Amino acid sequence: MLVLTRRLGEVIRVGDAVTVRVLEVKGNQVRLGVEAPAEVRIYREEVYRAIRKENEEAAAQAAGTLDEVTSEWQSRHDKP
Amino acid sequence: MAEPARQAVAETVVIRSKRFGDYEVPADRVLVFRDGLIGFPHAQRFVLLEPTRPGTPFRYLLCVDLPELGFVVCDARALSPLAARDVPLPADTRPEDVAILAIVTVPADPRGMTANLMAPLVVDSRTNAGRQLVLDTGSHPLRYPILAPATAD
Repeated sequence: MLVLTRRLGEVIRVGDAVTVRVLEVKGNQVRLGVEAPAEVRIYREEVYRAIRKENEEAAAQAAGTLDEVTSEWQSRHDKP
Repeated sequence: MAEPARQAVAETVVIRSKRFGDYEVPADRVLVFRDGLIGFPHAQRFVLLEPTRPGTPFRYLLCVDLPELGFVVCDARALSPLAARDVPLPADTRPEDVAILAIVTVPADPRGMTANLMAPLVVDSRTNAGRQLVLDTGSHPLRYPILAPATAD
């Protein structure tokens, strides 16, 4: 892992198009400003992991899940 | 012998899946997710099947590139009026141009099924280009309960 020390307001550049600036340091929190082209996707790590896990769980479901889901939905919504 | 009349033969894409069965769909219905889905970077081409029962918002989204990969998805607008909020649209795009699909997760008890409104799939119906967006604002749950809690009856 590359380790760099930066002061408030200083910047790290990743490749040609991505910069990360230290905006604020307060206690154990750091505010970072990321500038990147629109096609570069930027996530907080825990959010990325949570969504990946949810995608994986959804993908692992048995075929036939659609029928199950649709039946449950209809049993709630088709009641007179 | 007369040559058969040359008709414009629509190109089709064939999916052969052990899990989901075989499908042949017109090539112009293939949705392209250039970045794949989160955790599935190679899953880039999908087809959205018609609902198995009309009037329900659930459909299969099957992956052309990985035929054993498929998701149950739900029209997110049918679940929550807030679903479309915070979805950034390019300037020339009207809300009705984009489909917003939430991936459905079903636990052992299907009544607990949830929709992922935090990372909806947004598909431009004019270009068939799709992306899995991340709405990291705190107001779009990762596990939105699809069915209201059952009332005692």
